[in-house]
Amino acid sequence: MAYLSRRSVLRGSLALAAAHPFAGPHIARAAATTASMWFSQGFVQDEDLSLRKAVVDYEKASGNKIELSITPFAPNRQKIIAALTSGVVPDIMGSDPAEILQIYAWQDRWVDVSDVVETQRAQFSDTALQSAQAYNSVTKKRGTYGVPLRAAVVPCHIWRPLVEKAGLKVEDIPKTWDAYFDFFKKVQDNLRKQGERKVYGLGFQVTANGVDPYNLFMAFLVGYGGQDIVTKDGKLHLDDPKVKQAAIKAAAYLGGAYRDGYVPPSAINWNDADDNNAYHAKLMVMDVDGTLSTEVAVKEKHPDWYFKDMVTHGIGYPNDNAGKPVPSIVGLTTGLIPKGAKNVTVAKEFLRHFIQPKVIGEFIELGLGRWLPVMPSLAKSPFWQDPKDPHLRGYIQQGLLGPTIPDHYVFNPAMAEVRNQHVFSMPMIEVAREGTKPEAAVEKAFKRIEEIFAKYKIA
Amino acid sequence: MDNASVVVSRPAIRWGAVSRSLRGGLKGGEYPWALAFVLPYAAVFLAFVAYPVVYGLWMGSETSLYRELFDDPIYQKSVVNTVLYLAFGVNVKMFLALLLSGFFMRPGWWVKALLLVFVLPWAVPQISTFISIHWMLNGEWGFLNNVLFKLFHIEGPSWLNERWMALSAVIVSHIWKWTPFWTLILLAGRMAIPMEIRDSARVDGATGVRGFVHITVPLLANLYLICTLLSTIFLLGDFNAVNFVSGGGPANTTHVLATLGIRNAFEIAQPRLGVAAVMSALPLVIPLVIVLMRKLRTAEVQL
Repeated sequence: MAYLSRRSVLRGSLALAAAHPFAGPHIARAAATTASMWFSQGFVQDEDLSLRKAVVDYEKASGNKIELSITPFAPNRQKIIAALTSGVVPDIMGSDPAEILQIYAWQDRWVDVSDVVETQRAQFSDTALQSAQAYNSVTKKRGTYGVPLRAAVVPCHIWRPLVEKAGLKVEDIPKTWDAYFDFFKKVQDNLRKQGERKVYGLGFQVTANGVDPYNLFMAFLVGYGGQDIVTKDGKLHLDDPKVKQAAIKAAAYLGGAYRDGYVPPSAINWNDADDNNAYHAKLMVMDVDGTLSTEVAVKEKHPDWYFKDMVTHGIGYPNDNAGKPVPSIVGLTTGLIPKGAKNVTVAKEFLRHFIQPKVIGEFIELGLGRWLPVMPSLAKSPFWQDPKDPHLRGYIQQGLLGPTIPDHYVFNPAMAEVRNQHVFSMPMIEVAREGTKPEAAVEKAFKRIEEIFAKYKIA
Repeated sequence: MDNASVVVSRPAIRWGAVSRSLRGGLKGGEYPWALAFVLPYAAVFLAFVAYPVVYGLWMGSETSLYRELFDDPIYQKSVVNTVLYLAFGVNVKMFLALLLSGFFMRPGWWVKALLLVFVLPWAVPQISTFISIHWMLNGEWGFLNNVLFKLFHIEGPSWLNERWMALSAVIVSHIWKWTPFWTLILLAGRMAIPMEIRDSARVDGATGVRGFVHITVPLLANLYLICTLLSTIFLLGDFNAVNFVSGGGPANTTHVLATLGIRNAFEIAQPRLGVAAVMSALPLVIPLVIVLMRKLRTAEVQL
C-alpha cells in the first residue's frame, strides 16, 4: 500500500493543476458563450431591475451568459477609464458618460458596431444615428462605434404651487426664450413681496462641477442661435458672429440672473445633485436639468408632487426669441465594445437582441421613463402617451419627436474636453460673481476652446 | 612587451561560500520551506506595491505632461491650496491634540466619558460626515445659517461660495475629523511617561506649565514630530475632505493635488495628466518619508 508523503501530495497537486486546462474542456466551451457587461446604476431602482430583466430574457433565449456589473455613475466612469488605460476591458460597456464614445474613438479603442446598428437602422432617429458615430484619428474616418440604447434631453421643471402663490398661472408663461425665463423673475419678485425670504426664481447651475453647467450653457447657446459652434465636419466656428453673439447673450443672461439675485447664491458651487435637492426643497421656482429624474425620484413617495405640483411640459419647451422652435441637445447612451474584448461575438449578439424595439422599449419603460427611447415608433406606446401622466408626453415630444440635435462633441471630441474642463462655466461665473463684461468673459473662454481644439485636428 | 604575457590574477571565486551566503545560512530542506514562506509575500509585494508604483512612474514620465500641468492655472492654485492645507491642517490639529491629550490625562470618570464622546467624529464614516458638512454649510437651506437666523436674526453667508472660506471650511472639517485620533496617540504617549519622572519633577517644583515645558515637551517631542510627519503624508493624499466639503469649487479654486489628480484622470479622461499631478508632490513626499524613517530609528531611545 502506498503512503502519502509531503512530497507526493505536492507532486500530485501540481500535476492536477497542470492537467486542469486539458481536463475541463466543458468550462472552456462555457466561457465562449459568456460576455461581461458594465453599466451605470440607475437613479431609481426600477432602472436596474429593467436592465437585469433584459439580460435574463436574453440569457434564456440564447443560452449565453451575460456577467452584468452595475456600478454607480461616478465609480463606473472611473472603472471604464481605468480599464481602457490598462487594457483589461469587459466585452460591453454602457457609454456613461456619453462622450466616452467620442473621446476613445479618437484613439481607435472601440470595435466597429455598424453591423449591429444596421439591424435596426430604419427604426432609429437621425439624431441617434449621428450620435452613435465618432471620428477615429487613426483611420482618419468617422465610424459607428456605439449602439444607440437610450437618450436624454434637458427639460425645465417648474413648481406650480409657487407660481400660483405669486398670483400667476403656469398657463400664462410666455413661449419665447427670454420672456419665458423672465417670467420666473417676476414670480420671485411677487413671492418676496409676500415675505418669502428664500425662494428664488431660477435654478441655473452657474457652477464648475458636474455635467449640469455645460448642459445649461449649451441649451442657452442653442436658444440664442449658436448651434453651429461646431459643425458636422468637426470644424470650430468661433469667428461666426452668430455663434459669438449667442455665447455672449448666454453668459450675460445666466450670469446676470445670478448677479441680480434670481438664482440661489449657493448655485455657484453646486454639484449635479445639489440643484435637484434645492428644487425638491422648493428653494427655486424652476430648474433646468437633464432627464426626468427630478420627477421620477419623488413619484412613489410624493405622488401629489409628481401628478399635480411639478410641471415639465404642460407649456412646452420655449421657442427662440423670434418664435421658432429651439432644438434640444440629445445626450445618447450607447452600447460599446472595446478593442481587446474577449467575446465580441456574444457582445454583438446581445446588443442585437437588446435593440429590438420590443426589448429596448420595455427596458426604458420599466425604468419609469427617466430616459427616452431612440426609436420614434416607441413614442406611440400607451406608456408614453398615457393621458394621466403629466410629464411623459411632453418629454418624449421634446427629446424624440420634436427638433433635436446631437451634442457637439459628436462632431469633434475636443468639445468633450471643453465640457469636462468646464470652459463654459467660467464666463457664467465671472459675469455672476465678478461682474465681468460678458464679451470679455466669452473672449477668454473662446481662447481656451481654440487651444483645446488645436489638439484635435480633423482631416 | 607582449600583451599576451600580462596575466591578471583574480581571486578564485568560492562558489560554495556564495551559495551558502545566498541561502542565508540555511541548510538542506530548510531552504525550500523558507522560500515557500517568503514567496507569497514577495509576490504580493511585487503585484500590489512595486508594480503599481513603477506603472505610476511610467504613466507620469513624459515631460510634456508637466509642461501642460504647470501651465494650468487650476494646478497653480491647487499647489497653493495643498501647502495651506498641510500647514494649517496638520499644525493646528497636532497642537490641539497635544493640548487636549493633557486635558484627558486628568483623573475623573467624567473626563473618561467626555473622551468617549470626543472620539466620535473620528469613529463615524468619513464620506457621510463630509457630505453632511457640505449640506450644513449651504447658504440658503443649510443648518448653520438657519441656526444663525433663528438665534440672532443674522443672514449667514454662502460659506462655500468663496475660495478662502471654502478652503477654510475644508481645513476645519479635517481638523474636526482627525484631532480625536491624534489626541489618542499623544495621550498614549503621555501615559507612557513614567510616573517616577513626574513625581521627581513635582518634588523639584516643576508643576503646571513648568512641568509641561520641562518634562512633557522633551519626552513627547519625538513622538509629536513623528505624528506630524505621518499626518503630513496622510494629508497629502487626502481626497475626501476636499471632494465632499467644497467639491474643489467654487470654480475649481479649492482643489488640492489629490483631488486635481482624480479630476484630471477621470473627469477630463486624461489618466496620465492625473498621475502627473499626483507625482508632482513627490519632491515633498520623498524627503518626508526619509526624515520619518530616520526618526523612527532614533525613536527607540525616546518615547
